[in-house]
Amino acid sequence: MATEPTRRHWRAPEERHRNVPSPDGPTDSSASDAGATSFRRRGFLKAAGFSLMAAASASCERAPERLALPFPDEPEGVTPGRAMWYASTCGACEAGCGILVKVRDGRPIKVEGNPDHPLNRGGLCAAGQAAVLGLYDGQRYTGPRRAGQPISWTEIDSDLGTRLAALRASGGAVRLLSRTVSSPALQATIDRFLAGFADGRHVTYDALPASAILDAHARTHGRRVLPRYRLDSATVVVGIDADFLGTWVSPVEHTRAYRAGRTLDGTPPRCSYHAQFEGRLSITGSKADRRLRVAPDDEPLVIEQLAARVATRAGVAFDARGGVPAVDSRELDEVASRLWTARGSSLVLAGTPDVAAQVLVNFVNHLLGNYGTTVDIARPSRQRLGDDLALGRCLREMRDGAVAALVVLGANPAYDLPAEFGFDAAAAKVGLKISLAPAPDETSAQADYVCPDHHAFESWSDAEPVAGLAAVVQPAVRPLGSTRAAIETLSVWSGDARPARELVQSHWEREVFPRRLSGNVFEAFWDRTVHDGFVEVAPSSAPSASFDVSVVTPLTPTPRRRLADSLTLVLHANVAMMDGRHAHNPWLQELPDPVSKVTWDNHASLAPATAARLGLASGDVVRIADANGAGSAELTLPVHVQPGQHEGVLAVALGYGRAGTERFTDIGPQWIGAQPGVGATGRVGVNAAPLLSVRDERVHSAARCVTVRPIGSRHELATTQQHHSLVEPHDVSSAGTRPLVVETSLSLLGSAEADASPVERHASLWPNDHPMGAHRWGMVIDLTACTGCSACVVACQAENNIPVVGRDEVRRHREMHWMRIDRYYSDAGDDVDVVHQPMLCQQCENAPCESVCPVLATVHSDEGLNEQVYNRCVGTRYCANNCAYKVRRFNWFTYAHPDERANLVLNPDVTVRTRGVMEKCSFCVQRIQEARIVSKGLGQPMKDGAVRTACEQSCPAGAIVFGDLNDPASRVSVLARSGRRFRVLEELDLRPSVTYLSVVRNRAASATEERHD
Amino acid sequence: MRSYVVTALLAAGLGYNLLAVTPRIANWRLPGDHQDYEPAQPIAYSHRLHAGELAIPCLYCHFGAERSRHAGIPPANVCMNCHRSVSAALAAVRAEDSQAKAESRRARRIVSAEITKLYASLGLDDTLRPIEGAQRTSVRWVQVHKLPDFVYFDHRPHVAAGVTCQTCHGLVETMERVRQTTPLSMGWCVNCHRSTNTTGVAGRRVNASTNCTTCHY
Repeated sequence: MATEPTRRHWRAPEERHRNVPSPDGPTDSSASDAGATSFRRRGFLKAAGFSLMAAASASCERAPERLALPFPDEPEGVTPGRAMWYASTCGACEAGCGILVKVRDGRPIKVEGNPDHPLNRGGLCAAGQAAVLGLYDGQRYTGPRRAGQPISWTEIDSDLGTRLAALRASGGAVRLLSRTVSSPALQATIDRFLAGFADGRHVTYDALPASAILDAHARTHGRRVLPRYRLDSATVVVGIDADFLGTWVSPVEHTRAYRAGRTLDGTPPRCSYHAQFEGRLSITGSKADRRLRVAPDDEPLVIEQLAARVATRAGVAFDARGGVPAVDSRELDEVASRLWTARGSSLVLAGTPDVAAQVLVNFVNHLLGNYGTTVDIARPSRQRLGDDLALGRCLREMRDGAVAALVVLGANPAYDLPAEFGFDAAAAKVGLKISLAPAPDETSAQADYVCPDHHAFESWSDAEPVAGLAAVVQPAVRPLGSTRAAIETLSVWSGDARPARELVQSHWEREVFPRRLSGNVFEAFWDRTVHDGFVEVAPSSAPSASFDVSVVTPLTPTPRRRLADSLTLVLHANVAMMDGRHAHNPWLQELPDPVSKVTWDNHASLAPATAARLGLASGDVVRIADANGAGSAELTLPVHVQPGQHEGVLAVALGYGRAGTERFTDIGPQWIGAQPGVGATGRVGVNAAPLLSVRDERVHSAARCVTVRPIGSRHELATTQQHHSLVEPHDVSSAGTRPLVVETSLSLLGSAEADASPVERHASLWPNDHPMGAHRWGMVIDLTACTGCSACVVACQAENNIPVVGRDEVRRHREMHWMRIDRYYSDAGDDVDVVHQPMLCQQCENAPCESVCPVLATVHSDEGLNEQVYNRCVGTRYCANNCAYKVRRFNWFTYAHPDERANLVLNPDVTVRTRGVMEKCSFCVQRIQEARIVSKGLGQPMKDGAVRTACEQSCPAGAIVFGDLNDPASRVSVLARSGRRFRVLEELDLRPSVTYLSVVRNRAASATEERHD
Repeated sequence: MRSYVVTALLAAGLGYNLLAVTPRIANWRLPGDHQDYEPAQPIAYSHRLHAGELAIPCLYCHFGAERSRHAGIPPANVCMNCHRSVSAALAAVRAEDSQAKAESRRARRIVSAEITKLYASLGLDDTLRPIEGAQRTSVRWVQVHKLPDFVYFDHRPHVAAGVTCQTCHGLVETMERVRQTTPLSMGWCVNCHRSTNTTGVAGRRVNASTNCTTCHY
């Protein structure tokens, strides 16, 4: 080997001191220029060869010894390796959906909706699915604390026992502040606890309130109830700023019922009409047949106008006085006449916190005869019981120093109340503050005592989400820390030290069992209920209420408050964070917002025209301040330009900026180019709740006029909006555009029935040489049903051990979700239409990924599955590059859970992939295998529906159907023959196994069939 | 660094490595292959005695094979079904009996050293009374049959199809200490899946899939 220094030749002066490669190819390796210290190729190969030899000779021996530890004494019914399912009730919000918790070898690993539960019938939202990760949150309280220091339960009980006894003696005011308590047993315990004090009161509020609806019913029907809305019976639905499919009251229940009213493949086919008035673009609005953008100020006026029009048709005198909203009156006429035509099966829903407007909503529903059909107050909902007025009173008392003790249960007032309420200052005047929060939050940080509650999966409790539907919450795992159920804690302080199970059971024996519809033995009734998760009972007796027309008054005209150049701030919840209680859940933080597709941040949404007027673009950081200078709260947020939003609206999501989200700074791989996973504040997003406004002592989320001022910096939002695009780049685009989504209107549906499939299938030159086995797995996704709620994305993540990558990696297009929901806009007049298209591996028959894999790591099975074999994959990424649907995900790193305990959530039936491996949707092949093994054991063929993929199972709308295409009678085969069928990128002849059903909007025939590109 | 220095260093490294590895070279095998593995177990449990001589069915103890992915190691309370009363070899019990008769005293309960370990795992003494302060602990059995990584094997379909335990585990009923007799490698599995599709299992037609996702997912 030539090692002597040789002369270096150069051609140009600039080459003299620089190592410029010769244009004719690499220089001779012997012509070393940087001295002998650099490691040349030959040396590298030598070292690599020797190292390989050394590693190979050292590794070819037995794997280390592994133990196989059996139970010393195996509990009855437990078989290692077999999943147990516990019926319970979801605690992720107050909607009270029925769930089944899958427990594998002692740890809950997956939550699914209970298919028998009357509310959700098997569906479950993203937050509910993600609750299982919350169980393993390493930052939950592990035991009680006094002044921030851990102490024992005995100490805290004796300590508080003394202090509470002193309060009982002195007659000091005790306030228990909670969000809606859906558990009747807990409510009874609270009442018992407070009854021990001379002045004990329970104050309920909801961070996402429906207080005005309850108050309006108190006026019109004499009962403070939230009706249960029966969207399944409604043929005309008018929503006014109520995101009932996304975040409002009971989204899963509403989505299921909404879908039931829009079953185009049912017999007979049904398609309700849905008009939505809203300022921002919610997922409910994205599904509407007619969406009208109105400023939040105009929403009460729209309600009044509708009331006036419906009253005219009903022959009732009603005079609209509030003013004229900036909405085309023909549109209002149209909506009113549709409502009137469908009276008895129509429904008007409004989210406005204005009681006078809500009274008018009741008036409209009353005139339409909807009470008793689509609006049920005989069996009302108990999912929102908050009372804003009581909250205001309580805070006033606190400010006056009249409250001696404050117990906070479930709520987080220090975080989610408007700044005007001044909770922190008021709380400082309370002598004794006790928090029952399960995990550290803003309120528990101020508390003198923290008595942490269990996670919902560790605790006995109950729920009655709708009057007459009693449900049980049962533990699926022993408490991981030294926490104690809130019901037990309060009971101990009332002098009753029974465990939670006995408290709940005795409450049921006393209160629920007498309301039973069948059965005589309580034990059998209880066991049955615990097994099923719920039981239908008679609703607690309530006087039947009739509508009191005398309270209906027109709105008082208010002067337009709009200042020049100011915008109305709309603070809203999104499906992941809701009111902020799930901010510590990385699955939900990384879930792209269904509409904006932003992850790991909240942002200031502006309409394109507004952004253009203000000279702002997505990513510009702005400071948002009250236009009237009221309040000192300001927000600094990046702008996101949101089509479909009203021009006078600036929308910001609530639930961000929670204390403790600093933990996500180091989420994701920590490599040399890693950026922090949190914003400039050190937290994920910014808390917008202080800018909520208070009007008439009610919390208004859309009443503040704000000004927007750019601060000159930029912030790149981690948005998945343009990731994995199926659109061909302009410069390589072949003839025409690719149809990705097929849209049609209801009136055209019949004529288009012949074949909605946009591309004719040509004869192939290649023989169809895939051997076909007994099954051919396929999927149908109904885009008319899909609301984009993203429950399937989280369900897939939980089932398939999909890692969280963190904000920085999302920015680099490296999110790992196997299932994404592509959201397409299309122009509809001056507004946009929205289509949500779940996109997952299409399991193509002629899969382009398979033909390019050099190591046969992705191959076709004889059941039509495109298999990905992780241990064969060497990470060339050719397959991902060749995938037409961009559904393959590459492990750029080994994505470890930042919180080690969170590894307990991993599904043992799915391989955890390591760095350098490609992965993608497998059609939940582990579930196919399980179902196959079970059917083999029974000696029966697999039934249709025996395999349900995680996404299909979780879908509240039932938009996804999975099954065997070889069986002509299977649900999936029937739907795949529907006239609405189409396949994405069919012109490529990849023959995907996923068939989509077109988007149908209930519109006049003027609209032609549309295709997006 | 000069190239020959690098070469010399690497050669020395490899030489050292080979020296270090030489004692283990007898055990040389492909990664994941554990054929002939026969580890010592914490309790000298004899399959020859239980499964061979006493003809206890495999599924009596390994009941998981019918219901679960794992056949399972029996929990100690399954052992106690018999060993509550059977505590030592018959000869030892008889010898104690005759000695007790000779000494005209009541025969003592004879517990063999191995059974004592079983009782200890349940926190019991030789007379089956709980030991004060003792905890129940698992017997630390050493896993014998190990599959290579990244494979999901499920006992249920194999048991349901009528594949005998011995097909994969060898003649366990003749083994004093369990040894892995088959390679349990992918080629070995696939060969069987292929051949049984033509030959069937115990005269019955079977459908043993050779798709990748049958085992890898």
